Amino acid sequence: MNKEDAKRLVREAVAEGRHMLLEPEAKALVAAWGISVPKYLWIKAPEDVRVKAEELSPPFVLKVISPDIVHKRDVGGVILGLQDTEEVRTAVHEMTRDLRRSAPEAQIAGFLLVEMVPPGIELIVGGLRDPQFGPAVMFGTGGIAVELLKDVSFRLAPVSREEAFAMMQEVKSYPLLTGFRGSRPVDVEQLASAVVALSDILLSLDEIREIEVNPLIVSESGAVAVDARVVLDSAYTAPGRSIERVSAAKA
Amino acid sequence: MSTGRDISFFFNPQSIAIVGASPRPGKPSQVIMENLKRIGYPGAVYLVNPNYASINGVRCYRSLSEIEAVIDVAIFVLPAPLVMTVLERAKNVRGAIIVSAGFKETGSAGTALEDELSALGARKGIRIIGPNCMGIYDAVSRIDTFFTPEERVKRPTRGGVSVLTQSGSFAELIMVELVSQDIGVARIVSYGNRVDVGESDCLEFLTNDAATSVVVIYMESVDDGKRFVEVASRCTRKKPVVVVKVGKREAGIHAARSHTGAISGRYEIYKAAFKKAGIIEVNGYEGLKDAIKVLNTYELVAGKRVLIVTDGGGVGVNIADACEDLGLEVRELSEETRKRLSTRLIGFSSTGNPIDLTGSAIDSDYVNALEEGLKDTFDLVIVTVLWGAPKITEKLVDALKAVRDRHNVPLLICTLSSEFSRRIAARFAEHGMPVFFTPESVARAAAVLAAGKRYARS
Repeated sequence: MNKEDAKRLVREAVAEGRHMLLEPEAKALVAAWGISVPKYLWIKAPEDVRVKAEELSPPFVLKVISPDIVHKRDVGGVILGLQDTEEVRTAVHEMTRDLRRSAPEAQIAGFLLVEMVPPGIELIVGGLRDPQFGPAVMFGTGGIAVELLKDVSFRLAPVSREEAFAMMQEVKSYPLLTGFRGSRPVDVEQLASAVVALSDILLSLDEIREIEVNPLIVSESGAVAVDARVVLDSAYTAPGRSIERVSAAKA
Repeated sequence: MSTGRDISFFFNPQSIAIVGASPRPGKPSQVIMENLKRIGYPGAVYLVNPNYASINGVRCYRSLSEIEAVIDVAIFVLPAPLVMTVLERAKNVRGAIIVSAGFKETGSAGTALEDELSALGARKGIRIIGPNCMGIYDAVSRIDTFFTPEERVKRPTRGGVSVLTQSGSFAELIMVELVSQDIGVARIVSYGNRVDVGESDCLEFLTNDAATSVVVIYMESVDDGKRFVEVASRCTRKKPVVVVKVGKREAGIHAARSHTGAISGRYEIYKAAFKKAGIIEVNGYEGLKDAIKVLNTYELVAGKRVLIVTDGGGVGVNIADACEDLGLEVRELSEETRKRLSTRLIGFSSTGNPIDLTGSAIDSDYVNALEEGLKDTFDLVIVTVLWGAPKITEKLVDALKAVRDRHNVPLLICTLSSEFSRRIAARFAEHGMPVFFTPESVARAAAVLAAGKRYARS
């Protein structure tokens, strides 16, 4: 998917009155801006499960895709360490059963089968649209404890590569990136590119209110977006206005 | 009478009208009249009040339109509803300073009135400072619209510091401080409820104001975020802009759906905006005091390397810690420099950074320590003169000035607040060396000098 396709995807989601992109859509969007994402298959129906080795190599992670589930882990929507088609099929059945109990109201748009990303340092890159100052980009220590640690740095868009490096240096986990106690330094150039990419996405798509890649797992071999979230601007989802905007954009 | 965004006429008015003039001592309008007289405002002053034919022998007009001249600045000192009536009829006014309270700060009725005021100003092309404000104290053009009597709040002399503030009480706090530090000001603007003129317009004016060398902003909220960043980015390429942001606990996105949204309060975004614009943010009033004092003397430096020379080991270490906490670099001296120092200083001095001259120091030790220390590269210098060392003399003031001038490096003094050292401090200040009385405050000032010249400014 290229940038134009990604823009169309966002505008269509807005026209449909949606508030968020689904995970594979959000990943496709950030991938269009050059951020690496793990290989994945979108399983739309449980009977479709057929994993071909040339498409995806194990181990896999299975994740539920739902516009209504914000925290997938909390409702049993993530299963790790799957090895083959048989295990994936079983996992899909178990997850479907569990979700009926833990999230009975949630609409399920399918399942995401993803190649597991080797361990690395968990970071977060995010962005939001401030009513006064416009788009702002965030970089920080990622993972599930983001809001607890609050080890983050902000800049207003447009963010230059130089500013991206300054943002990295402002967070406490920066020494982890440059090689801490014998570990190899990570690919900071790719991290800077990811920060600049989010800045550029926010400047290119007014329809996005919040965007986030968390975790962005980084190691010496690169940075990979393990999860991505895109919140659309609810102002554009008001009836009438969204359609007008989309058609104007298409014209 | 449209003036666009240019508000320079507020700071160089040919004529001022006081609407609601009164002869009664202690009335705000009477205080303003006195203050304009005291400061020596050279332009025409018109008094307006239909209840008087004259006040103290000066003609009093029944209305603004009776004055056969263009009024650059009309100061309104009237009950809020009357302000509306008078402004509605005004035909010859370019700018209004509305001192009157009784607008948004009083509740929903006041808010409605303020919205009307805003619309009225826009419709008539009259630029408005206020309402609910002190207005302008301008030592360059000699304007003083503050309604506080001079014997209660002494006014600063003329100098290079300009202050922009929403809060009137902050304006007075800073005025008193500047007077006690003997630091002069160019323009002080208090815009209160900020219905029209705010920091962005003022900053645009101050960017090209030759009288202003440092801008200080007290900010509760921004008037127009994007424009402010744009204007401030231009201003910081010419002169330092320092901001104190208050109201830091304001929440960000309500019910955010991402960690990014949940984690970012409004303050985080303000901080990002200040960084983008190259603005130096200081923490609270204490931080601002230090910043003004140091920026009144020195230009910003490009690096963060600090050399510390002390006659008291404990204070030296305390300063070094405070500097590093603020992101400054207190680097060790090179091996060669240490060797040279050990031959030039008395035996038990410490030749690290800080260079500790100990209580046995004499005047020449300071000079030798600085001459040798500065052979390594440093961006600024902090020197403590604690006067516990019995052999040092008042001649040190001139000696330190000479070293500073020779090396063209900002030199900050940290001393005690005893009566004796305060007297010496005054001499340092006369020689253009800012003096601080605690390790933390000298470190804060050093951090301000080192904070500004970043990539964003280059």
